[in-house]
Amino acid sequence: MDMFQVVLGFFWLVAGCVSFYFSIGNARVWTSIAVGFFLILVGEIIPGTLPFLPGLNNPYVLAMGHIIGTLAILIMSHGFQEYYVFTRTLDFEGSKLHVYLTVVGVIVASLVFLLINPTPDEGVLRVIRIVENTNWVFLSLINIDLIRKIHLNIKDTPISNGFLAFMVVFACIFLWKGSQLYMDVFSLDTKQHLINYTISHYANLVGDLLASLSVGGTFLYLGKLLR
Amino acid sequence: MILLPRGNPVKENINPGKVNLADALGKMRQGKFTGYMRFDFPEGTGVFIYQEGRLISSLFENEREHLIAYDGISRTFDESLNGNGKLNIYQLSTELAHSIHTLLHGEVLHKGQDLQLIDIKSLLIRMREEKRSGCLRIYSKEHIALIFYRDGSPLGFFHDGSTDIETTADSSMSVAKEPGAKVDVLVTRGDGKKSLADLMETADITGMWGAAVAERQRQREEHENAASKTQETKESDRWQKTQELFQSFAMAHLGKIGSLLVDKEFDKLKLNGGQISESALDDFYTKLGKSARMVAGPSKIDKMLEEMKKGFKGLS
Repeated sequence: MDMFQVVLGFFWLVAGCVSFYFSIGNARVWTSIAVGFFLILVGEIIPGTLPFLPGLNNPYVLAMGHIIGTLAILIMSHGFQEYYVFTRTLDFEGSKLHVYLTVVGVIVASLVFLLINPTPDEGVLRVIRIVENTNWVFLSLINIDLIRKIHLNIKDTPISNGFLAFMVVFACIFLWKGSQLYMDVFSLDTKQHLINYTISHYANLVGDLLASLSVGGTFLYLGKLLR
Repeated sequence: MILLPRGNPVKENINPGKVNLADALGKMRQGKFTGYMRFDFPEGTGVFIYQEGRLISSLFENEREHLIAYDGISRTFDESLNGNGKLNIYQLSTELAHSIHTLLHGEVLHKGQDLQLIDIKSLLIRMREEKRSGCLRIYSKEHIALIFYRDGSPLGFFHDGSTDIETTADSSMSVAKEPGAKVDVLVTRGDGKKSLADLMETADITGMWGAAVAERQRQREEHENAASKTQETKESDRWQKTQELFQSFAMAHLGKIGSLLVDKEFDKLKLNGGQISESALDDFYTKLGKSARMVAGPSKIDKMLEEMKKGFKGLS
């Protein structure tokens, strides 16, 4: 299982690097989307797939992982909203630097928020993880619909098929995060003998793997489309 | 073409468009001028005849029109203001000025008869027998001479440079001997001695001149407005053609959203005013390129912009 986690980590590393690189070389609106996907790597995959790294049992590190994971879906959803507005109004604003600094600022503010509060225990971490997964699940569904609309608006452009790929990405993420949320809501980790747990557990792993592959693949595909 | 012999030149080759003719006519009157003012325009010839300061006759004539009195004055003013005329002023004797008036308003009996083909003696005899009053106008390419008759008897001769009717026929006959010389026979009706009214007494010359100037100004403004509108229409057409061309390129490379991006950037460009030019389009290309990066890559965008630049050059 550890080997599988390492493979997952490798795929997310590739996906994160590709998405971050993509955020640098393309239009500003892609920055939010690409940085959001990159934050998955930073916030969740490192502590989740590489548990042997030092300090990863620290509750602050774990809490920050979940908070950054939450920020990731919020930032990329904001990016897709901006893109949708652009396809309707042809207007967009802001700068890449502004996006990077805002993301760093929000992360720092979140860390300060954690530090000025009592040390998060297991219960707090569970709540934060549920909040994170809830955001991912519902925003994935909303994003699928938003991306569908974007695709309709720009369906005769070179980039349009890239948005179909993003719909696949969010479907995989929905499977990944949805199964995790399901297990948390019903505390299935304490009832591992149930078939529900087994199904959810494997759905979670498959969703995770497919999400990492689809994210990396999608950004590589986008890079090809935007050459 | 009104053929008149030149009298004693007072002023020659003046551009009447640069003269206040109402004032000029007033000065003629004050100076008790006798003679005629001849206006030559591409559109015809105007003649004002003065007799001791009285404007006794005015005529404007071309191939289609024969305008006299106020109409002649008015038309001459109008043509003068076009600026393409030439004004010559010749002094004459009182009697000659009157004769020229009767000549101008007389009836043409024969016109452009070649002197080599016509029996001049028979013509003169017939003038005498029929007791004609009028004038024989003998002219070549270079000179003109007039022989005036009253009731069949010759009154005298007038030729270029003379200010009065002369009794010697030498100059007039010398014109008849020039190659290609021709003769017109003009006859007058009624009493040639009758005193003629002063047109300047019965007409508001200053008002007519003012009206002509105002009309000219109106025509100029109308012309300028029309020219301006033509320019605007031309520019508008150019904007539209360029926009349509760019839309087609954007549509081919970026799809419908590309066409909309072109519209949007064009609207911004139009708001800046001015004419469409390669330099004005530089900013358009930059902004369109930036927007297009949302939906396409640099190679596709560069290709599209390159086609737009080439297409615009083709339109210019």
